[in-house]
Amino acid sequence: MKRTPKWVFFVVLGLILVISTLSFTGIYTQYGDVTRAWIKGAGDIRWGIDIRGGVDVTFSPPEGYRASEHEMAGAEAIIKLRLISLNITDYEVYTDVARNRIIVRFPWKEGEADFDPERAIQELGDTALLTFREGVELDDLGFPAGITAQTIILQGQDVAKAEAGYHQNEYGQSSPVVQLTLSSEGASKFAEATARLQGRIISIWMDDTLLSYPTVQAVITNGEAVITGMESVETARELADRINAGALPFRLVTENYSTISPTLGVGARDAMVLAGVIAFIGIAVLMVFFYRLPGIIAVFGLLGQVSLIIAAISGFFPAFASFTLTLPGIAGIILSIGMGVDANVITAERIKEELYSGKTIDGAIATGFSRAFTAIFDGNVTVIIVAAILMGAFGTPGSFFASILRPFFFMFGPTASGSIYSFGYTLLAGVLVNFIMGIWANRLMMKSISRFAPFRNPRFYGYGGEGH
Amino acid sequence: MKIPKIRFIGNLTKCLILSGAIALVVTAGLFINGIGLDIEFRGGAIITYSYEGNLSIDEFKGRLDEIAGIPMAVQATENIATGQSNYVASLPGDRSLNSDEMLRINTEIAAVFPANSVQAAEIKNVDPSIGHSFLMKCILAVALASVLMIIYVALRFRTIGGWSAGVMAVLALIHNVFIVFGVFVLFRIPLNMNFIAVLLTILGYSINDTIVIYDRIRENNKIKGASMQLPELVDYSINQSFKRTVMTTVSTVLAMTVVMVVAILFNVSTITSFAFPLTVGLIAGAYSSICLAAPLWVRWETRKKGTA
Repeated sequence: MKRTPKWVFFVVLGLILVISTLSFTGIYTQYGDVTRAWIKGAGDIRWGIDIRGGVDVTFSPPEGYRASEHEMAGAEAIIKLRLISLNITDYEVYTDVARNRIIVRFPWKEGEADFDPERAIQELGDTALLTFREGVELDDLGFPAGITAQTIILQGQDVAKAEAGYHQNEYGQSSPVVQLTLSSEGASKFAEATARLQGRIISIWMDDTLLSYPTVQAVITNGEAVITGMESVETARELADRINAGALPFRLVTENYSTISPTLGVGARDAMVLAGVIAFIGIAVLMVFFYRLPGIIAVFGLLGQVSLIIAAISGFFPAFASFTLTLPGIAGIILSIGMGVDANVITAERIKEELYSGKTIDGAIATGFSRAFTAIFDGNVTVIIVAAILMGAFGTPGSFFASILRPFFFMFGPTASGSIYSFGYTLLAGVLVNFIMGIWANRLMMKSISRFAPFRNPRFYGYGGEGH
Repeated sequence: MKIPKIRFIGNLTKCLILSGAIALVVTAGLFINGIGLDIEFRGGAIITYSYEGNLSIDEFKGRLDEIAGIPMAVQATENIATGQSNYVASLPGDRSLNSDEMLRINTEIAAVFPANSVQAAEIKNVDPSIGHSFLMKCILAVALASVLMIIYVALRFRTIGGWSAGVMAVLALIHNVFIVFGVFVLFRIPLNMNFIAVLLTILGYSINDTIVIYDRIRENNKIKGASMQLPELVDYSINQSFKRTVMTTVSTVLAMTVVMVVAILFNVSTITSFAFPLTVGLIAGAYSSICLAAPLWVRWETRKKGTA
C-alpha cells in the first residue's frame, strides 16, 4: 500500500483554513472610491427577498384576454424598462407564454426607506404610453421638452405591430432594422408628419423614457416604416418589443404578489446564522467527544464543507454565478452538513470496528474508508436525485435541470418558486462538496496524520474503554 | 467491540402495531382538524401591518373592515428580535385582492391612524388558480423523486434482490411522509412550501438511513451469505450499523433542535414550522429504516422462498 506522506495533512488543513477564511472575508482592493472584489466573501451573498425584503409579483393580462406571444414579449419588455426607470437593476423577470403570466421579483434597494412597493407594482402593470414625437428636445431630467413635448405624431394604438428584421440597401448589404406596420389612421398621420419633417428627427418614447430617435429619410405613405441604424439584431428586437408593448390594448393586472419588509427578514437571517453557529459547535463537540482523532479531522472537513458551500453561493468561483440564498436555502445547507456529519460518523465507526477486528491502524483506516464509501456514495446519490428534481421542477425556464425535466412538468408553467429552487441548489452543492471534503480530504488527512508517532495509539481512534 | 444484539426482525409485529397506532391517531386528527392549506396553495390575502405606539386591536380591526368592506381576521404578533409589533390581517376564504384594492386599503388605513405610522410590512396575495397548480407541481415532484429512488436502489442492490428492497424502502418512506403529514395535521400547521421542503428532505434522509443498512446487508451477504440465514444476517447488519444510525440521528436532531429553539426565540415562524416537523421526521426516518424497511424486506424475501 502506498503511504501518504506526513506533510499532506498540513497541506490539506492549510488549504481548508485558507478557503474558509477567504470564503468568509473575500479579497477586495480599493482605488479611491471603487472597491473591486477579486474574490467574493460571505458578505457578497445575495439574500433572497424573503430575507432582505422585496417584491414578488405575477402579472397577467385581464381575464378573458388571450394575449399572443408577441404581446407577452412586449409586456415583458415594458416591465424591464420600467424597472430600470425605477432604478431597480437587480431584478428577475420570467415570462410564461403558455399561461400568459409574467413573474417579476426584485429586492429592496439598499438604504431605501420610503420605497412604496404597492405603488411600484401598480406602475409596472400600467398601460404603456408609446409616443412618436417631433424632434428630440430634452429637459435636464431627460424628459421631453419644447416642441418634442408639444407635438405627438403617433400613439400606441396607431402602431399595428413592430418586428425586427433585415433590410438590404442598394449595395446589397443587409443590416438589422425594425419594421413598423401602422394602422390606417396611423399611416395617414405618419405620411403627413414625414412629409413635413423630412431630414429631421422623430423621437420614440415610452412613458417618459426615450427609446430611439431616427431621422426621417423618406415620406412614408403606405404605413410601412423601417427604422435603420440598429446596432445588432438584439437591439432591433428590443426596440420592436418595446414598441409592441406600447401598442398593447390591455393593462397588466395582478392577483398574485407578495411584499416583505426588510426588517422582518433580516431578523430571520440573523437568527438562522446564530442557529448555524451554535449547531456547528454542538456537532463539533459531539464528534470530538465520541470519535477523538477522527472526530477532530471530521470537524476540519465540516468546516471546509461549510466554506465551500458559502463559496458556491457567494460567487467565489468565477465559474458559478452568485446565487440568491433564501430561508429554505439555509435549511438546505444545514441538511447537507447533516449528510457530511453522517459520512464522518460512518467512517469513524468503521475504523473503530476494523481496529476491534484486529487490524493495524493503517489497515483499519484504509479498509474503514473504503468500506464506508459505498454506503456514503449511495446515500448521497439519492439526495442528489432529490435536489436535481427540486431544481428542475422549481427552477427558471431554460436552466439545465428544468430542460431535462420538461417532459414531466410541461403542464405547469414556470411558476418558479425561487425559495424551493434555492433549497435544491444548496442541497446539491452541499452534497457534491461532501464528496470532496467528507470523503477525499478527510481520507488524506487521516492517512497522513496517523503516521505521526504520537497518533499510533489506537486509543485515539476510539479503541478500548469498552471492556475490550 | 460490542455489537448490540437487538432482535429487530422478531419485533417487526410490535413495530407494525406501533406504526398502525400512529396512523390511526393521524387519521383521527385528520377527521377532527381537517387539512389546512396555507396561502401559497389555496390562494388568499394576508397583510402584515407594522405600527408604532398604542393601537387597540379592536379599533384597528373595526376601521380595517370598514375600509375593506369585508370582515377580516386580525391577529397581533410581535417580533422579539426587532421589538416590532404587528397586526396580521387575512381575508376570509381564498379571496385575493387586486393591486388597486390593496393600494387603496393600505393608503386609507394608514391615513386613519396617522400617529401610529401603520405600514403594510408584508403582503401575501395569491391567486387561487396559481396556488392549486403550485400544489400539484409539488406533489408531482415528490412522486417523481420516489420513483427515481426505487429505481436507483433496485439497480444498486440487485445482488440482494433490488426491486423488493427498493419497494420496501419506499414503503418506509411513505410511512415517514405520513408521519410528517401527521405533524402538520395534529399541530394544525397549514400545509405550505415548508411542508414540501420537509417532505423532500425526509425522503432523502430516510432513504439514506435505509441505504446504509442495505449496504451492510449487501456486504455481509457477500462475506457470510452462505453460512447465515437471511433473518439472522439482517439482524446482525442492523445491529452493526446501529451506533451509526443513533449518532447521525442525534447529531442532525441536535442541529435541528438548535434551529428550532432559535427560531422560536426570534419568532421566525417560517423556520419553526419547518424545523419542528423535520425533527419529528428525522426520528421517524431512523425508526422506519431499522425497524420497518429491512425487517419487512426479510419477511417478503422469506415468504417468497417459502412459497417457491
